[in-house]
Amino acid sequence: MAVSHEPRIVGFLCNWCSYAGADLAGTSRITYPANIRIIRVPCSGRVDPLFVVKSFQLGADGVLIAGCHPGDCHYTEGNYHTRRRFALLRPFLDYLGIDQERFRLEWVSASEGKKFSEVVADFTETLKRIGPREI
Amino acid sequence: MIEEIRNKAKELLETKTVDCVIGYEPATDNLTSRPVFIYEPSQVNRLIFDETCVHNLSKYLINRRYKPTGIVAKPCDTRGINLLLNEKQLRRENLFIIGVVCSGIRKVRFNQIENSMPTKCQYCSQHTPVIYDFLVGEPVTEAPTHNYSDITEIENMSPAQRKAFWSEHFDRCIRCYGCRQVCAGCYCYECFGDELDPLWVGIRIAPGENWVWNTVRAFHLSARCIACGECEHICPVNIPLMLVNRKLEKDTLHLFDFEPGIDTEIVPPFATYKKEDKLGTGE
Repeated sequence: MAVSHEPRIVGFLCNWCSYAGADLAGTSRITYPANIRIIRVPCSGRVDPLFVVKSFQLGADGVLIAGCHPGDCHYTEGNYHTRRRFALLRPFLDYLGIDQERFRLEWVSASEGKKFSEVVADFTETLKRIGPREI
Repeated sequence: MIEEIRNKAKELLETKTVDCVIGYEPATDNLTSRPVFIYEPSQVNRLIFDETCVHNLSKYLINRRYKPTGIVAKPCDTRGINLLLNEKQLRRENLFIIGVVCSGIRKVRFNQIENSMPTKCQYCSQHTPVIYDFLVGEPVTEAPTHNYSDITEIENMSPAQRKAFWSEHFDRCIRCYGCRQVCAGCYCYECFGDELDPLWVGIRIAPGENWVWNTVRAFHLSARCIACGECEHICPVNIPLMLVNRKLEKDTLHLFDFEPGIDTEIVPPFATYKKEDKLGTGE
């Protein structure tokens, strides 16, 4: 008998947009799956590829990086750097055996509580479909 | 060829242009070669250059950055020098580069020179040094080409196959960190692999610790690896590290149209950004 799989998502949310967006989702009473474990970072540019690799090693089923929309970064350029790094890191992790779909970059602004809940719901859905990650 | 290198080294040492020439000499097994530091003009006859000169000597320049130094460099090593110059680790005025035209070196196994070439040479088409003060040999005029057939082969595997392929290789890793020690691009004073708090790469023997090390080591060299193949050459358990490095090289070329170590002035892709970047993600 199959036990339903509850994926664990590590979410790195930028303090200025996405964390506030997640907060808005909470204060607006918007429900989203509790599968995400949120880590607040000063900027999406703070997310070292090492954090992502370490999350996967310690058993995360998915990693989400969320930051301000391009052009809206509190530090002007942090998210542009994130975008470049992500573009290279995602295919690289895929090459080393971690499905592309398990690693996401999303732009969520402080006013997008609804979008945040949709992103988490969609990501959880995807991870449930792929199933647990074998370590 | 060897005479040219010796004469130039002698001239450099006699005129005191440099204090030291870094090159190759025969190793004690009478077969392979090893790095040598020549300080006296009378010693230049120890220098050789042949198809066993595998080492990338550019790593030694980091400790001699303030002292005038001559170096014998193959094309891949000159890319290493370019990388270090680009990252402001060396001073051009303190360097005298004796570039050597190279058509590939040979593998040595069981005390015999084999007919096959190491991975780095099989896919290399840069036969003329990219930076030099004095060139030994006839420069090759053909433009370098890129061949990533080995990478595409792995990319075309199924995810499960790929996972099995890498876990088979990474499980062998003994984390000797030789790949880092020998790498011209790894000059951090404190490597993330040595940090104890936080302990990024655990000291326990557990699944994934080797994977973390190998993944992040390679990613720290993304858009920086100059494909000298020293990590793969040094690896005591024969992990095909060039397959990891060359994947990043391929993607960097594709996404940013950038090749590390070709130019000393160009800004590397991760040190800059473009607002209008079209990378297929997060636009």
